[in-house]
Amino acid sequence: MTDRCPASFDETLISGYIDGELTQAAEQRVRIHLEDCTYCRGLIDELRTLREAAMSTEFSRPDDSQWDERPKTGLSLAARGTGWVVAIIWAVALAGFALWQFWQGSENLMERFLVFGGLSALVLLFLSVLLDRLRTAQTDPYREVEK
Amino acid sequence: MTGPRPTPAAVALSPPSEAQTVILAQKGDVDALDELARSCRQQAYIFALQLIGHPDDALDVAQDAMVRFFRSLGRFDASRPVRPWLLRIVRNLVRDRARRLRVRKTESLEPADDVLRFEPRDTAPDPEAQASRRELQALVWQCLQRIHPRYREVLVLRDYQDLSYAEIAKTLKIPRGTVMSRLHRARRLLQEEVRRHRSGTGEATDD
Repeated sequence: MTDRCPASFDETLISGYIDGELTQAAEQRVRIHLEDCTYCRGLIDELRTLREAAMSTEFSRPDDSQWDERPKTGLSLAARGTGWVVAIIWAVALAGFALWQFWQGSENLMERFLVFGGLSALVLLFLSVLLDRLRTAQTDPYREVEK
Repeated sequence: MTGPRPTPAAVALSPPSEAQTVILAQKGDVDALDELARSCRQQAYIFALQLIGHPDDALDVAQDAMVRFFRSLGRFDASRPVRPWLLRIVRNLVRDRARRLRVRKTESLEPADDVLRFEPRDTAPDPEAQASRRELQALVWQCLQRIHPRYREVLVLRDYQDLSYAEIAKTLKIPRGTVMSRLHRARRLLQEEVRRHRSGTGEATDD
């Protein structure tokens, strides 16, 4: 058996024919071709056998104990989101207050600039990463993964 | 033209009941959410297993898929079928996972051979026919894991998940004509792999 249909025939139609996905005209074309082509008849038989083997295969499944609890939705999700927002506001306010206290309490000018210089660098680095992430999120081809 | 289709790979809800369940779940009904979770997680697992070949990895992907599924449930149009959407989430997670493995230069686990289930609805008339069918099922499964993921996914969606070409086109976001040509190429690769295995050489065909 050769590896191709000897006639100039669009072989991809064979799969459409096996799956019943062709238009009436295309199906008729395949039927007419099959009358004369032993190669394509053999190919159809072989592909159908493989397809039936795949279709009838059953798989073991994990039992219920192996699954995580269903992810939370609705109220609990909203509560969690609100909790995060409140926690972030609290952390920012606390850090601001601590810095303000430090600025007021420290007499040494060099000490003030060292601490604030370091913190400013960290904030700038954080902002640059955040901006990168936002830009990636806008252009990421997988952003519709959940849709 | 096609043979009778056995029951789908996982317990799925019927379309009208599915839409109703989705609407109730979107309103936060706990029973509907649980029903949706039970119905979808097995489908997600089986599809992930068929794409990845290893049950532990498939379970991880299915768990992630369920998190994403429920996170975006509120935005889902309940008039549309859930299955292509769910399969799309799983397929994208599998792709992301493959990409991570490539970046980290780590190997995926070897496909498992013990995930096939050969019981009770096997109604073949004689034991010899049954044995030869099981042997072919195992061989096709083994060879499926050796073809390129791009072809494997289309083959799985059609022959294992029984999706129509239109549904496959939606799931993979490719034209219907491309589904047919890619599927045919995939079947030819699988056929080649099966023949190669039978003749005893057993080389991979990743292109």
